[in-house]
Formats: sequence, structure tokens, C-alpha cells
Amino acid sequence: MKRTTPIAIGATAAVALTLTACGGGADGGAETTADGPVTLTLAGWSLDSTPEFQTLADAYHEANPDVTVDVVEYPAGNDYATAMTADLAAGTAPDVYVLKNLKDFVTYSNGAQLLDVSDVVGELDPATGGLDQYEAEDGKSYAVPYRQDSWVLYYDKDLFAQAGVAEPDGSWTWDDYDQAAQDISAALSGDGVKGTYLHNWQSTVQGFALAQGEDADLLSGDYSYLAPYYERALALQDAGAQVDFGTITTNTLTYQGEFGLQKAAMLPMGTWYTATLIAQQASGEANEFEWGIAPIPQADASTTGTDATPVTFGDPTGLGINPKVDEAKVAAAKDFLAFAAGEEGAQALAEIGITPALTNDAVTETFFALDGVPGDDLSKFAFSTHDTRPENPVATQTAIVQNILNDLHSAVMSGSTAVDAAVEEAGQRVQSEAGLG
Amino acid sequence: MATNAVEERELVAAAGAPTPRRRPGSRLKWRNTLIGWSFILPNFVGFTILTLVPVLILFYMSFTNWNVFGVAQWTGVDNYARLVQDGSYHKALLNTLYYAVVHIPLTLAAALGLALLLNRKMRGVAFFRTVAFFPYITSIVAIAVVWNMLFSPEFGPINQFLTALGVDDPPGWTTSATWAMPAVIIVGTWREMGYYMLLLLAGLQTVPAELHEAARMDGASAWQRFLNVTLPCLRPTMFFVTVMLTIGSFKVFDLILVMTNGGPGQSTLVLSQYIWQKGFVENQFGYASAVSVSLFLICIAVTLFQFFWNKKKEA
Repeated sequence: MKRTTPIAIGATAAVALTLTACGGGADGGAETTADGPVTLTLAGWSLDSTPEFQTLADAYHEANPDVTVDVVEYPAGNDYATAMTADLAAGTAPDVYVLKNLKDFVTYSNGAQLLDVSDVVGELDPATGGLDQYEAEDGKSYAVPYRQDSWVLYYDKDLFAQAGVAEPDGSWTWDDYDQAAQDISAALSGDGVKGTYLHNWQSTVQGFALAQGEDADLLSGDYSYLAPYYERALALQDAGAQVDFGTITTNTLTYQGEFGLQKAAMLPMGTWYTATLIAQQASGEANEFEWGIAPIPQADASTTGTDATPVTFGDPTGLGINPKVDEAKVAAAKDFLAFAAGEEGAQALAEIGITPALTNDAVTETFFALDGVPGDDLSKFAFSTHDTRPENPVATQTAIVQNILNDLHSAVMSGSTAVDAAVEEAGQRVQSEAGLG
Repeated sequence: MATNAVEERELVAAAGAPTPRRRPGSRLKWRNTLIGWSFILPNFVGFTILTLVPVLILFYMSFTNWNVFGVAQWTGVDNYARLVQDGSYHKALLNTLYYAVVHIPLTLAAALGLALLLNRKMRGVAFFRTVAFFPYITSIVAIAVVWNMLFSPEFGPINQFLTALGVDDPPGWTTSATWAMPAVIIVGTWREMGYYMLLLLAGLQTVPAELHEAARMDGASAWQRFLNVTLPCLRPTMFFVTVMLTIGSFKVFDLILVMTNGGPGQSTLVLSQYIWQKGFVENQFGYASAVSVSLFLICIAVTLFQFFWNKKKEA
């Protein structure tokens, strides 16, 4: 018995190899669609709690029974990029991989780690969010966006009612937001409720400043456009209308806890939080309360109101193809990308509460048919209508600049450095470390 | 393998090949050398593949521009020229020195104090030794979360205690550019003193009791005995502890990363973190290698200095 097992395994392997070889041979002639069974590998992270990869894989397999998509688990968070970079460099990365943010995209496209997918992009709906972000300097596209979260304002309708403050109506500028935050804090401070919660990420201030600020340019070396946004955030912090930065970092506060347990009435956050909040309300991790989504407050009245398009920010999440993919699998991989970024992929993602890059009326309807999603018109408007500017414009220096601005963020928000001094220092550092400005 | 080689040579010799006559015993010597080599070989092969080769590659990388993908471009001393002018590197270097200069004596004193305290015969000494060692084996992430809460400027027990003592304006600790480094040093010292205490305790056991007895007979006070008996006998251990502590301090990374992530601003940015940031966040592996080489040279220089100083003292 012991001696026959290896032989059996060997024989099975030999048969399997022969079969695969036959399949490969048959594939060779196909141009656009793969005929014969093909198995693609797709990178994902935290598969237990992040169902989007398996959802896309299953939906695609259902539509194309010949192609199986195997999801390979990678570490979550920033470790994803590190692990993926290592695997790409070693030549062991999956056929199709996720570009978690635009900073990585530059690294991979400059490093020739992405296959040209301009033909796929050409067939996609031009309204797909973030489509043009993946165009490299040579005019070719190296990835497709399949989801695009953008930043909106979550608000707690119950707390607004309790404080007697008028809910957002889509016409808000940041002044209205400040006023509401202070009014709510004043009314509900006895219950330990703050008007708003600004998480300790640099995006929560800098993302809006970059998207809405006049002449704001991440790569200009001049960061004076950040100043008014920081002064606003510091003023709210000093007035006690939001938890201060030091408490967030030292007590490791989470935005899910602060808003979900009703310690803050408003929360500027990316649309990814919708799925989390629904799940947490269902599981009891978050309180039961009525909430809604409003467009993020605007710099001035010109972009407010439901007949205008509010300006916000957000990076698309993309899918790219590993250039080391088997010749025979390229057609299937491209077809998978077209599927994921197209209508069918968008529908599949919307069904599980994820914001796809393509948000047309049908997708919005699917999304708002979910249990627990607020049904009011403003929420639908905020979800479907926005001018989403990139947080990380595609350039080689973006990662360096963002690191410098991250230092600025902690220095300013902790009160260690004055806004103007920090802006000046950041400018100097960007000049010497990134050669810009 | 050794035996095969010997047998083969004997065969050759038996076949009448012209081999030079050897002195008696040289074959035994050869055999012993081979056996000696075979003992260190497994370790040496591991060391070569996992440490020596990567370190040599690192030296090469520091003269190139490399973003992980493709071929590294040779850029000569460009990276080093950049180091000289890089303000952030200077900041990281100064912060590392700040950490080392305060952390080394503080940890040494705390560890020695603990070791002396726990070297006596008393009830429950094993318990206290274990307790002192606990921080060292506790997860660094858990340590960082708990200490960050203790340091919380508004709600932390440390500042509440200070306020109760009458301090009007207690420090902001990890949220203040001035106090973040002291806060990190306190946690670093607290974490590592147990480990060095253990090494020093082992050293203290080797101090001959009769020397203490003789000194006591001659009327030496406790302080005099400490200075003239304990410390000189402890010198080999102290040397080892100082070297390890120095290298550890220059390479401090995880503690700072999880406690302050280099902030606020760049107030706790240290060299190891700067290397990580340049290499793994910004994909500038050539430049990151150059910073690593500079850290390596600093560690080597300080260790050599300590080595010669120890030699001089020994003589």
C-alpha cells in the first residue's frame, strides 16, 4: 500500500498533465474567448470578511462555465502590496491581481508588471469611474477599475432629531457642516455625543482639500491649499465637536465604533463603510438607528444642491493582468476583466453592498434594494452622483509626497506644529526628497 | 565523505603514484580538520545563504537604483551623495542617536539594579525574576496598545496621576513632538530591562563569594564592594550586555512603528523605519540599501570602539 501511493499520485499527475496539455493546445487557436477549460488565479485578501473576490469569481464562472477562477489569499492591509510586489518580482504572482490603490499602480506599470489591456478598456462604458486613471504615459491602459469608493457624509438621523438640528439636504458647504457639528455637540454633550468624527487618516483632511481646493495639485510642491481645511479640522477639535487626534491614536479608536455606537452624529467616510455598517447593525456590533448618506460638504455653493454634481475624492480599485500569465490564458483573463468592470460585475458587486466603478441606474437600484440600506432620495443621490477626483494622482513621486504629507498630518493634528510652518516644511521636503516644486 | 577521501588517497598511494612523503601525524591532522569543518558546515552553509550573501548583495544594491522589478542600474556613489544632503535622513540619524544615548544607560542601570536586587536570597525571588522578564516575552503590539492608553494625554492614568501630584500641564507623551521620544524610551527600557537583568544575574553568580568576604573583612562598605569587587568581576558580562544593547538600540524598529509610527511629524522617525519606508513603501531599494549600509557602519564602529576599550581595560 505504502509503495503504491506515490505511484498512484504520479500516474494521476501524468494523466492530469496530459489533459491540461490537450486543453492548452485547443486554446491556442482561440482569439477572443477561451474554449476548453481554463483556470485563472485571482489575488484577494481577507477572503472570509471580503466576499467581493469570490463573488466576482463565482459570477464569472456561472456566465462562462469553461473558465474557473481560483481566488488566492494574500495578506490584508499594507502587507498586500508588499507580498504582491515580492511575488511579482519572484514570478509567482497570480494571473489576475488587484491594484489596491493608485500608488501601487505606478510601481507595477513602471516595472512592466502589467499587461496592456487597452482593448478591454476600449469596450467598457466610458462612464465607468476611474477608467482614465489607469492610462500610463505611453497612452496605453494597464488595468481596469472594478470598484470605486468615493467619500460621502454618513449621518445619524436619530441623533440629528434628538439634537433638533436639521439634517443635511445636499446643499451643505463645510460651513454648514461645522455649524451642525457644533450645534449637535452643544445639545448632546451631556450624553457624551460629539457632532462629528474625523478619523486620524491623512485622507480625511487632505483628500477633500486636494479634490475641492482651488489650484490644488499634489505634485506642485505648494501645499497652502491644505491650510483652510486643517484650520477647520483643528477648530472643530478645539471646540470639542469632534474627538481630538491624540485620543484617537492613543486609545486606538475606530470609526466603526464611534459612528456605529452613536458617539458621533456625522462621519465623513468612503462608501465601503455602507456594507460594514449594515453587517454590524445586523450582528449587533453597531446600535440600531436610522442613518443616511449625504454628499460630502462642498467648498462653496457652486457645486451644492441635487441639480449639481458634488466634488469628492476616492481612488478606484483595479484589476490587472500579470504579464507572466500563460499565453493560452490571456484571452480568458481579459474577458474576466471586461466582465468585472462591466455591467454584470457591477451588478454582482452591488448585490453584496460594494460600490462598483460603474454606477448606472440599474446598479443603484440593485444596491438600494439591499436590506438595511437607507431608502431616501438623498442617499441615492449621494451614492450615484459625484465628481470623484483621485486621491493619489498617478505619478512616480506620489508615494514619496504622500509620506511627507502624512508627517504633516500627524504634526498638525496633534498640535505639535502650526499649520503654516508645517505646510512650508512639507514644501521644502517635497522639493529635496521628490525633486518637485 | 571524509573517510572516502582518505580511502581514495590511500588507493592512489597503493597504486604507486608519486606522493610526497608526509610527516607522521599529518593525516590525523587533516582528518581532524575535516571533522571540524563538517561540524560547523551546516551552520556555516545556513549563515552563508541566509545572511552573508544577502548582506553582500545589500552592499552592491547601495550603489544602484532599483525598484524591485527589472535590473538594478549602477549609479555609483549617488545614493551616498544623496544621504549627505537628505534632511529626513539627518533627522532619523539624530533621533536614533537620541534614542540610543538615553536608552542604553537607562536600561543598563535599570537592569543592573534589578539584577542586584534579585541576586539576594529572599522569599519569592524566582517569582520576581519571572515578573521582571515578562515584558520581554509579551507581544510588542499589545505592549504598544496598552502603553499608548496609559500615555493618553486626557484620559491616561499617567497624566491623571501627574495632575493629582500637582503638575499643571502634564506632557502630551506620544501626541507631542517633544515628549514622544521620551515616551518611547520609557517603554523600550521597561520592555528590555528584564532580558538584560537575566544576563547580568548570570554574571553575578560568577562573582566569587570569597572576594566579597575578604573585602568585608578589610572593612569595605557595600558601595566600595560594589565598585571594587562586583563591577570588575562583572566586566565580561557588562561588555556583552553593552554591545547587545547598543546594537539593539541603533536597530530599534518595531516598538516605534507600533507606538508612534515615527510621529508626530518626524519626531520619532528612526533609521530602521526610514529604511523600511524608503524600501518597502516607496520602492527605492537602492537608496534604502545605502541607508542600511550607513546603519551597519555605525553599529560596527561603535562595537569596535567598545571592543578596543574593553581590551584596553583588560590589559
